[in-house]
Amino acid sequence: MRTRWGQRAGWLFLLPVILLGPTWLATGRAEEQPADQQAQRLLASRCAVCHSTDLIQQQRLPRDRWEATVDKMVHWGAQLDKEEAALLTAFLATYFHPEAGPVVTLPAAPSIQADQAGRESGTAPAPGGAAARGAALYKQNCLACHGEAGSGGVGPKLAHNPILAQADRFRTTVSQGRGAMPPWGAVLRPQEIADIHAWLNTLRD
Amino acid sequence: MTNHEGPGITRRRLLAGAAGGLALALTGGRLRSPAEAADPGLGTPPTDQPLRTHVARPLDAETPPQVFTQYLTPNDRFFVRSHFGPPAPDLVAPSVWRLSVAGSVERPLRLTLNDLSTFDEITVTAVVQCSGNGRAFHRPKAPGVQWEKGAAGNASWTGVRLRDVLQRAGLTARARHLQLQGADRPVAASVPLFTRSIPIEKALHPDTILATRMNGAPLPLLHGAPLRLITPGWMADSCVKWLTNLTVQEEEAGGYYMQTAYRYPSRPVKPGEVIAPQDLKPVEAMVVKSLIAAPQQGAILASGAVMVQGVAWTGEGRIEKVEVSTDEGRTWEQARLVGDEAPYAWRQWRFLWRTGGSGRRTILCRATDDRGQVQPMASPWNPGGFLWNGWDHVQVQVREA
Repeated sequence: MRTRWGQRAGWLFLLPVILLGPTWLATGRAEEQPADQQAQRLLASRCAVCHSTDLIQQQRLPRDRWEATVDKMVHWGAQLDKEEAALLTAFLATYFHPEAGPVVTLPAAPSIQADQAGRESGTAPAPGGAAARGAALYKQNCLACHGEAGSGGVGPKLAHNPILAQADRFRTTVSQGRGAMPPWGAVLRPQEIADIHAWLNTLRD
Repeated sequence: MTNHEGPGITRRRLLAGAAGGLALALTGGRLRSPAEAADPGLGTPPTDQPLRTHVARPLDAETPPQVFTQYLTPNDRFFVRSHFGPPAPDLVAPSVWRLSVAGSVERPLRLTLNDLSTFDEITVTAVVQCSGNGRAFHRPKAPGVQWEKGAAGNASWTGVRLRDVLQRAGLTARARHLQLQGADRPVAASVPLFTRSIPIEKALHPDTILATRMNGAPLPLLHGAPLRLITPGWMADSCVKWLTNLTVQEEEAGGYYMQTAYRYPSRPVKPGEVIAPQDLKPVEAMVVKSLIAAPQQGAILASGAVMVQGVAWTGEGRIEKVEVSTDEGRTWEQARLVGDEAPYAWRQWRFLWRTGGSGRRTILCRATDDRGQVQPMASPWNPGGFLWNGWDHVQVQVREA
């Protein structure tokens, strides 16, 4: 078993190249986000909604088990599309495989502050949001914690929340996180945050 | 499945409960409830030995082995494990909390904590151990929280007999299993609930209790307040916390946590083998096991006499002997069993080791129970990484005195 996994682990390092090549080209943001960084953003934004990522990092599993695990999580509601799931699986199988040893060194984690600085420097104060786009973004990113139509859940109710009156504070809270809420700046662009904001402003009780 | 959410508890309140759990989980290893802090009976907890966190949210944390030099594991040093974290305290406050007893019964019940206190009180000292305790030692690695030694503890549990409550409801002829549901809820509604069941024979066993107190103090929220099932001798996946719903039924509980997770092969399997569902049975009784509590891993000891101590327990039998080896398992010497002996509790043991010489040494221990179970060098691999009971080992450095 050990030998077979050893061989497997050897070629696993090629997987990101094999699997992510096409994904990378097909993804709009690919040129600014290496696959490893995209995967780490997914860990923070999709997996950490329900559990801290230390649970993931202590696993040492072969690729088929990682596939089964990511499948299970998608089945249970993790907000990952097919490309994201494949990218994440490849990342996990590359770094957290059975031969990985007790300490795994990951490539430099994406810096949210640097991201924000990069994205926001020289941009206009706050982009206007498009509510229609915001509805879809909300469903994908926010609904699990903040409930249908911003009605609240694990996270606070957002419909008619006073923070909606302060666009800057809303944007900062979303991008930098607050309390138990993870920072979303690495996942959502300022335009997308503004879109969500615009949609939340359309909600009635 | 409608019985999972008690009347008056809406989905949103339950979600708010999960947020409460989150906040609690974020407090890390400090777990003492105010009631417990006020209880002088437990002595001063060892503040220099915090729990070791494996998962920060929802909190999964294990007890450092040196805490096991104490017979009873203090509440704030007792391992913490749940799938979703505790519900918000206001959801399980005495004014709103109810225990529903329904299903194949003649008289469905809805009991308050006061109602429960009218049944005869019983205290059982029992080891509670996570089924995945020791998972980190399985090869190949099994997925799940990588528990090492400390997802176990010995506590006194006080409450009422589950049997008495079920008899008040009156079981019908179709009663075969008891489904258990607590008030904890996942973040997303798409995640299956932690729904479990136990066979009716275990439910009716006079030592199976609905516990409201732990080591004499009110049950802390992290340990299942206000009510937790204790199935002495069985692994803790049956010891459902934050209990709100008991449903008597013909079949085992459905759902992921009974039908897929917490199952163990009923035949020998090869490591890594994929096992057909019909060859997997629920994890139930504990297997014989012992641990070394002192000296600690990595300790530097003066050559001479060293007191080795630890604990040993088994599922539904009693511990017959504990043996220690200091020569890599070539020879074994019997340790002395000390302290209280009680069914379901662990037994403390001591062994006076005359180290001789110097250098790096490994201390091993293994226990044997009255049913002939002997702790193996390594436990059989299984897909969930359950029931690890391989010889415990501690490496120390012996120096010339």
